[in-house]
Amino acid sequence: MPVPETLEFFVDPARCIGCQSCVQACTECDTHKGQSMIQLDYIDRAGSTQTVPVVCMHCDSPTCAEVCPADAIKRTEDGVVQTARKPRCIACNNCVLACPFGVPKMNSEASLMMKCDMCYDRTSVGLKPMCASVCPSQALAFGTREEMARMRPSATPVNTFRFGGQTIRTKVNVMVSADAPDNCIDVTAAMFDASTGHDVLDDVFGEVGQE
Amino acid sequence: MSHPIQPPLPPLDRDTIREFGPTRAYGTDSRVRAGEEPDRRVKTHCCFCGQQCGLQLEVKDNTIVGVEPWYEFPFNQGMLCPKGVKRYLQQDHPDRLLHAYQKDPSAASGFRKLSYEEAIGRVAESIERIQTEHGRDAFAVLSGASLTTEKCYLMGKFAHMCLRTSNIDYNGRLCMVSAGAANKKAFGIDRAANPWDDILGAEVILVAGANVAECAPITTNYIWQAREHGAKVIVIDPRITPIARTCDLFLPVKPGRDTALFSGILQLMIENEWLDREFIEEHTVGFEQVADLVREWTPRKTAEETGIAEASIRTAAEWWGTAKSSFLLHARGIEHHSHGVQNVLSAINIVLASGRIGKPNCGYATITGQANGQGGREHGQKCDQLPGGRDLGNPEHRAYVADVWGIEPDDLPPPGVDAYEIMRKAEAGEIKGLLSICFNPVVSLPDNNFVRRALETLDFYVAIDFFMSESARYADVVLPGSLQEEDEGTVTQVEGRIVRINKVVEPPGDARADWRIIQDIAKALGRDQGLTFNDPGEIFEELRTASKGGVCDYSGVSYDRIEEHFGVFWPCPSETPEGVPEPGPQGTPRLFEPGAWNPIAKGAGPFYFPDGKARFVPTPFEGPAEDVDAEYPLILTTGRIVSQFLSGNQTRRIGPLVDHAPEPKCELHPRLAARLGIAEGDWTTVESRRGTCTVRASVVATIRPDTVFLPYHWGGRKSANQLTVSAQDPVSKIPEYKVCAVRVTKAEAPPEYVDSLEPQQ
Amino acid sequence: MKREVFRSGAWGLGVTSVLALLIVVGSRNLAHFDAALVAYTFSLLFATFGLTYRYSMWLSRPPTAMFWRRGWQALLRRPWGQGHARAWLSGMALDLLANRFLFRRDRLRGWTHLLIMWGCILAVAITFPLVFGWLHFRPVAGDLSLYQVVVFGFPAFRFPHDSAFAFFLFHGLVWASLLVIAGVMLAVRRRLRDGGAGAVQRFAEDFMPLILLFAVSVTGLMLTASYTWMKGYGFTFVSILHAVTVIATFIWLPFGKFFHVFQRPAQFGAGLYRSVSISGDQASCRRCGHAFSSRAHVLDLIEVERQLGYRYDIEGSEAEHYQWICPPCRRATFAAAQSRAWRGHRGGEPLTADRRSPPMPVYVNSGLGQGPLGEEDAKNRHA
Repeated sequence: MPVPETLEFFVDPARCIGCQSCVQACTECDTHKGQSMIQLDYIDRAGSTQTVPVVCMHCDSPTCAEVCPADAIKRTEDGVVQTARKPRCIACNNCVLACPFGVPKMNSEASLMMKCDMCYDRTSVGLKPMCASVCPSQALAFGTREEMARMRPSATPVNTFRFGGQTIRTKVNVMVSADAPDNCIDVTAAMFDASTGHDVLDDVFGEVGQE
Repeated sequence: MSHPIQPPLPPLDRDTIREFGPTRAYGTDSRVRAGEEPDRRVKTHCCFCGQQCGLQLEVKDNTIVGVEPWYEFPFNQGMLCPKGVKRYLQQDHPDRLLHAYQKDPSAASGFRKLSYEEAIGRVAESIERIQTEHGRDAFAVLSGASLTTEKCYLMGKFAHMCLRTSNIDYNGRLCMVSAGAANKKAFGIDRAANPWDDILGAEVILVAGANVAECAPITTNYIWQAREHGAKVIVIDPRITPIARTCDLFLPVKPGRDTALFSGILQLMIENEWLDREFIEEHTVGFEQVADLVREWTPRKTAEETGIAEASIRTAAEWWGTAKSSFLLHARGIEHHSHGVQNVLSAINIVLASGRIGKPNCGYATITGQANGQGGREHGQKCDQLPGGRDLGNPEHRAYVADVWGIEPDDLPPPGVDAYEIMRKAEAGEIKGLLSICFNPVVSLPDNNFVRRALETLDFYVAIDFFMSESARYADVVLPGSLQEEDEGTVTQVEGRIVRINKVVEPPGDARADWRIIQDIAKALGRDQGLTFNDPGEIFEELRTASKGGVCDYSGVSYDRIEEHFGVFWPCPSETPEGVPEPGPQGTPRLFEPGAWNPIAKGAGPFYFPDGKARFVPTPFEGPAEDVDAEYPLILTTGRIVSQFLSGNQTRRIGPLVDHAPEPKCELHPRLAARLGIAEGDWTTVESRRGTCTVRASVVATIRPDTVFLPYHWGGRKSANQLTVSAQDPVSKIPEYKVCAVRVTKAEAPPEYVDSLEPQQ
Repeated sequence: MKREVFRSGAWGLGVTSVLALLIVVGSRNLAHFDAALVAYTFSLLFATFGLTYRYSMWLSRPPTAMFWRRGWQALLRRPWGQGHARAWLSGMALDLLANRFLFRRDRLRGWTHLLIMWGCILAVAITFPLVFGWLHFRPVAGDLSLYQVVVFGFPAFRFPHDSAFAFFLFHGLVWASLLVIAGVMLAVRRRLRDGGAGAVQRFAEDFMPLILLFAVSVTGLMLTASYTWMKGYGFTFVSILHAVTVIATFIWLPFGKFFHVFQRPAQFGAGLYRSVSISGDQASCRRCGHAFSSRAHVLDLIEVERQLGYRYDIEGSEAEHYQWICPPCRRATFAAAQSRAWRGHRGGEPLTADRRSPPMPVYVNSGLGQGPLGEEDAKNRHA
């Protein structure tokens, strides 16, 4: 059964609070119980608490699948890029290195790449993926476009990304400000940006206790 | 620089830990085997924080094998924090106590098994002996706010009616009491004024001293949701917590200066006439005195005291003052102080001055910490309290409850002392015996070197617990109690919504439902009058009667009504006077609505005072009990992390949660770290006048440079509460966890525990 | 016709012809060829063509071609002294013959695969030489209790026809089918019970091969049963049925899941390439500066991506190509780009970092290296 067309994945990393619910819930998913497919990083913990949860974006033309020498990564007709097919994956690591979003994980012990498949066992029967179900900040959200528009009027979903000369379109949407100038995120333009946040020193007189 | 005598170090307890843990459990066997269909799914709630997220637990052969979101439950709609996702691993845990134990110094672990009946006999005998020899008050009871309301009620009844001791208190004392006391002073009722849905439409959300992202993660979505509709978010915190990172205005307050900040904001509101004069006039008393008192808090002075830039204070006051709707949330950050009640009252003052309460999208609430932080503080396990939010010191209240219980009012003891005072009395030899349940004072109370001494001084200590907690290691008898999922009942979550806890599995081995254990002790004492309930439902029925007519009126609530409406908000009286409409099927979600009736005001106004008006309470600013000085030049503030819960007795046994943050780390600002010569990951010693703690450093620019932070979930030598000060608020008796003076140095060598203990131990 | 199609067709024809030739030679001009098995032979010839064609097509894909080339280069260039060869060979043997890597994924699945695999190998080892006429037995003149084994037309060894060895040999297909049936049962059980497998499995891809194997094994067993206990009852019918299932399986070989049998060995080429390139120059992330892969692998991947039409080149940036950014930094960059899209609308500003290059992102889970997957995750930092 395909994932219902009306249901979509919406990601807003700026909402993320780094709580790891998604990581923990991912390990509860039946297709890879005990293992998490989600990547959750501190961008620069020394400077801020900014975190980024990354699930598979399910590209229309998945680089990971195309660079796979073993044809192990399949994209279903409803646009979900599946985790490596177990009989085929030869653990060459091409997909891990090629994915522009840094999604796949290599399990070298098992000679197997594993990645997020949007909880296909759940979404294909109309349920939300585990991560988007539990996410307390709803940085990972799953629902209809109408719901999102109603709940988040100041945001708009975007699914086109630029990496240098390459444009990638994805099934998963990223939420950006409704006032953002264009409907494409230039990822590589932000490559050397520092993390975003407040600076505690801005407001303090800098009084540090003297010893 | 003078060095005081080296404070004592807690024992490493290696042998006890070897036998009883904490060890880390991961999903194994049927818990990770794919494709195993569970026998059934049980709708219940998380056992941890006060939000009480709904979830479904999957059961196979009396083992909880997994979790499935419960999308229909309106509060969290399937959302869970990592603790909620992994909570099921506490069940069927290798550390689980399956037998009663008694202290046995000859055993390596310090304990030997004994039969349940024998253990109950020993407990009863010791209670009898101590109470006969030293008086009834010489036996004290410490209870907890993670128990179901039924159990909390039973604990109060057990202490007040069976033991007839004054000395019962609970660990909500460390948690919600400042807010509770201040709420009663200002509103006459102690409950979040609004359901969380009111956050969604607020124009300004002020979050004071609440690390929402880590301590109440689900609330994050409410705040973000409001922001999507244009709300401005102001966060007051000495640390840039995850929600502070992208808030619209961040006020990095110096710990312990909250009253000064709120006074400064109120002063600006008055100066600019950002007030709801009509509301103040009609619905409040005491505004003038408060206005007089805050006049001195000019932005300049406020900035100097709080360490926040003047401009930010002005912006905050303007946003708050001119908003059309707003929601103020606060938590332990402003409450865990020796002036916690003052802090909360000063926050309430800016709410009352704005007049934005008792209306849709206009609200105020404290975020309760423990599972039943709300219900646990309503029905008589507080030292001065009787069911229904009644007062043990009030003759009318005594008479009502005595009547329900079938005793004479004079049979009820007078009010007792708070939890920390119980420890002081134990140490002084006045209290000889102690029963604790759902409480781990050795980790959770401040200055815990003192607490250990107090427990060691006791003649007899019985702990009821499902794991061998750090405190239970000091017990003479340990009784195996029940996990939340092994019993049923109700709890009242952060919004004042009563929700239903369903039994998922049976208690294993000799373990019993807690209420059975308490009743068994009463029976062995030969004083089981009124303690012969057959199930939690019967306790709830009596609780309804006992709470009837009180402020916390549950009389109209039933298990069925809760399940039918996804919870019922109290007050929910079974009957109302002529002309007063009955509360809706969901009870009373929003308090203080215009025209609302309550049993105190009897129609005079929406607030719970005879005149129906809210109180402005003057809050003169006083600094923390222990401020920094040349010897101890830094402020230590303590708090929580998302993957652990309170004393960690449960969460430090859940492998995936331990892995998230295996050990406590001392957070300090890079500038401070540079001056102290400390780099990321260095072993760092934090010392106060009471203790010392060596942990690794986390050098982060997200904390004030004059402040260091330690999470308090660990025991023994990793416990932050070795350092904290036992100074308490004079009214609420909450300890000052959020400020004490320390010095920080780079440790010369790794601490001794590194070689012999796992991170969570 | 595209070039690779033509080339693959040619390879297919070539290899099939060689096989046909070997059949003719091995059976001594078809003297020992069993005419009753001719349908089998032709289906195998067809399968050979299909498999070769598909293999060649597969090798013509840029990533596969790259690995094919690099794998052989690595094999030839590798310092084959000391324990190297032995370690590599024993690793390969463990993975290939004992399915070590499968047992690491899941024990039960390891057993499932091992049973099916050895069942099939045994069956193939017995039947293919018989079908091709490469193997036959004849009674030894003068001693009727002995059998002479003839391999590829050359007499090999003799054995008594009533020996345990003979019993074992002549019932080889029975053992093979028992192994396969057991394995298929386990596999089907998993496919029916495992919700995760249920979600992604497809009939043609996942059930068809199991059904074919099962049918082949059961009809084969029925043949044995028929002539052993039932005096040949229904033998002809069953043997036709058996032939149909076997031939269907052969024809299916190049198309479905069975093709993995021929793809799988690429694992060793990939592993070899990786282990050789790891000792060479490392690629350092041009954002955080940390080494994250072998330089050779990144360069090869850039080339493969160009051949596939991807343009991850970043003009005017010191990074040059997105392939030079490590996966964790790509995630950080993704977040940074999204933060940009909210700038001015939500609180917080880009914090000026003191360092010239941003730090490498770290997992939020600081218990890395602990717990069941801890080590794997640690390795994943920079695989």
